[in-house]
Parts: sequence; structure tokens; C-alpha cells
Amino acid sequence: MLRLEGKTALVTGGRQGIGRGIVDRFVSEGARVMTCGRGPRPDDLPAEVSWQTADVADKADVDRLTDRVVAEFGELNILVNNAGVQIEKTVVETTDEDWDALMGVNAKAVFMLCRDCIPIMYHGGSIINIGSISATTADPGMAIYNASKAFVQGLTRSIAIDHGPAIRCNAISPGWIMTGMADAAFAVARDPEAAKQDALARHPAGRFGEPDDIASLAVWLASDEAAFATGQCYTLDGGMTAASPLNPALF
Amino acid sequence: MKHVLQAKTAFVTGGSGGIGTAICARFAAEGASVIAADLQQSTELAEGVEFVEFDVTREDTIISTFADLEKRWDKLDILVNAAGIEIEETIENTTLEQWNRIFAINVTGTFLTSKYALPLLRRSNAASLINFGSYDGYIADPGLAAYCATKGAVHALTRAMACDHGPEGIRVNAICPGYVNTPMLQSFFGESGDIESLKQAVRDVHPMRTYGEPEDIANLVNWLASDEARYASGQLWVIDGGLSAQVQQMNL
Repeated sequence: MLRLEGKTALVTGGRQGIGRGIVDRFVSEGARVMTCGRGPRPDDLPAEVSWQTADVADKADVDRLTDRVVAEFGELNILVNNAGVQIEKTVVETTDEDWDALMGVNAKAVFMLCRDCIPIMYHGGSIINIGSISATTADPGMAIYNASKAFVQGLTRSIAIDHGPAIRCNAISPGWIMTGMADAAFAVARDPEAAKQDALARHPAGRFGEPDDIASLAVWLASDEAAFATGQCYTLDGGMTAASPLNPALF
Repeated sequence: MKHVLQAKTAFVTGGSGGIGTAICARFAAEGASVIAADLQQSTELAEGVEFVEFDVTREDTIISTFADLEKRWDKLDILVNAAGIEIEETIENTTLEQWNRIFAINVTGTFLTSKYALPLLRRSNAASLINFGSYDGYIADPGLAAYCATKGAVHALTRAMACDHGPEGIRVNAICPGYVNTPMLQSFFGESGDIESLKQAVRDVHPMRTYGEPEDIANLVNWLASDEARYASGQLWVIDGGLSAQVQQMNL
């Protein structure tokens, strides 16, 4: 039996990267899936996946998105708040416009989607927020991004305790996952290739993550197997944050 | 759903205990060859699970058990260190003998079993080692001082082993259960009066309005043991029905 058979899911930011990985796995596990992004429907999105063009930082767009979920699915069982943006700046460099753009997607959108979707999870549901290891360990030059992911963890715990037992809410905190976002982070290094090799050496798993690694945990958390898991922020980083950042072998 | 542990071999210490029994049953149902290692067989084992007498405090028998295992299995894919005991006392009422005994089982037992399983785990192309920490390794329950200390030690050991043996292809994680319906939990309740009303009070303080069943824990152990969790290492996986996501629940 497929693990998400008969369930309906909304995944934000499903055009590419982790979001797309989750969409693909949810489909293969039997779920009916809707996803969204700011642009038009991607050409390679499987036909059975519904697409809504939406800016999740915009309240009217979020309302339209959840209205469409109700119209198409009747009710929602799984919400994945995956859409996120990254700005590589310190606090001093960050403008008010940067703040609005980043917090709008990484924080406000997560709040608005939970607010809209919890009432349409008529038979309970599983909310999965994509956080980051940056919530608890800071990446340099990403001040507001780091802070936005700490918001995600705080909100995750709050939803778990306010809306359990009907709603379970957990976060996944990915480490370095090979997406366009990670490439952008390496690109700002003095020597991107050397930075990449150094980063690899700091992963006990010996590699960076793939979107499918994150999707595997999302499937488990979305499934009924995770019935006792709620209020947690599970890190999936190939072991990186288990080790100290000071590694004598890498001096 | 396909069998996710097909052709894998698994060794589970405490395999006849409350949670260990459920883990062994799940592993067998998922197609693994399973050994339930424990002091004695106190529960009925699921079909396909083999019992082996095993004392995690005895280095000599641990060595001989894995030497015997090497003759039968060419590799070990999954090691679960689930053997553990609880002592329900403050430190003042804990004797040195009790303290040494709980560390010998919960911490040294995890160390020794892992140490001698490593050569066989290295021969797996996707090994997963799963320790048993506890949410008590993060926050304290009253009158469980030595137990809390052992679980904190297991957490630190888990990260260290993940760091050292990850490059050898061995993932190391710990499961940190909250309240789970086992003989250990019944024993914890036992000293505090009316067990039925206590159970309801305990349920009510959980966001999921229930404490866990061994199968809930086995579900996560199964995922971590499977190849789906191939990027998961060095982590402490709390599964507690939301209990530790909240602050103290005052009786206001």
C-alpha cells in the first residue's frame, strides 16, 4: 500500500529543489498534490499535480491558493511550507526592502498558510515546515535568513501544542542540500571550488544532501507512521552539525 | 508498501524489552534477519526473530557473540542499542553500586556493543547504528537522576560516533523517546499512587493527548534503519507526542 494513499497535500515552492523533490515523492506515494510558485506552471511538472501561480507572501494569493485547495480536494491533510528565499547579507547591509522580501516568504507566509490551512484540515493533518540548521547555528553573512528559520522553529512548536492532537506539526532542518540556493552560497566564497571541498570534508556522510533525502523524511512525517511525532525540528544534514566547527584536520 | 529492510541483517540489544520487542517485530516484518539480544527471553518474539542470550556489560561474551555472528552473517546492516534500565531515585538515594550498574548497561553497554559490532557494520554498504537516548537526556524527570545522566552520555556518544564513523559509511543516530507504554513506564508510575488517574493526567499533558506505544517508536527506528534515511546522521530524534515542545504546564 502506498503510504500517502487518499491524502491531499499542499506543497509551497514546488518548482524546483527541495519542494519539487517533495512533490514528486508525495505523488509516488499516492497523494493528490497541489503546489505553487511565483511564475507560470513548470513544463516538466507531472500532469496530475495541480499548479497555482502565487506569491505566498501576499495574503490575497494565499487566500486564493487555499480556496482552490478546498475547491479541488474538499479538505487538506498535509501542508508543507517549503517556499523560502535567502539573502546573503549582514544586518548592517540589509535594507528594509530585503527584510520585507525575506521575512514575507520565510516567516509571514508560513504563518498565513498555517492560519488558512488548519481550519480546512477537517480530519486532522500533518504540517511540515522546512526550517534550516541555520536556525540554531549561524551561517556567516545571512543574518536575516538565519533569524527567519528560528521563527519557523518557534512557530512549529506553537502549532503542535495549540492544535494537537488533531494537527501534528514538525519542522525539517536541512543542512547543505544541493540546490540553486547552495550554489549561490558557494559562489560568494573567495574560492568556490575549495570551499566546496572543505564543506564536504565536514560532512560525516561524505556528501551533500539531495532534495530526495529531505523528501524521504517529509513522506514519513506526512504518513500515519509518524502519529506520535509532533513539535519537533528534525535535522537532516549528513552529520555536519553533530561535529564542532573547529576541525584540526581541516586547518 | 514494499519491504524496506529486505536482505538486511539486524542486531537489537534489549530485544526482549518493551520497545525492543516492537522493533524486532517491525524489522522482521520488513524483511530483515533479526537477532533479539537480551539477558533472557521475557516476551514472545515475532516470527522470524531469533533470540540470543546477551549481556551488554560482559565484554568477553560480547566479543564471542560477534565472533559467532561473523561466521553466519557476512555483514551487519543495523545495530540497535536498546538495552537499558532505569533507577528511580535521587542521587542521594542512589548507591555507587546502582550508579555503576546503570552506567554499565546504558552507556558502557552501548559503547562495548558498538565497538565490537563495528567490523561487521563496516562490511555493510549502508549501515545504520541506532542508540537509545531519551528526552530525559534533555530535560529531567524527578527522581531519575542517574538515568538522566546516562542518557545525556548516550547523546554525546552518538554525535561522536557519527563524526568518527560516518566516513566509513556508518550512520549513527539516537532515538529519544518520551513517555512510552512499557514496563519501565509502569514502574515509573508505580510509586505515585492511583495508576489509572495518573495515566489520564499524563495523557492530558501531551499535545497528542496520549503517551506513545512501542510501535510508535519502532516506526521511527524502522525509518532510520532504512535506506530512506541515508542522509540522516549524528542526530538525536526526539519522539514524544509533543511533550517537550511546550513549557511547563502549570495548573492555573
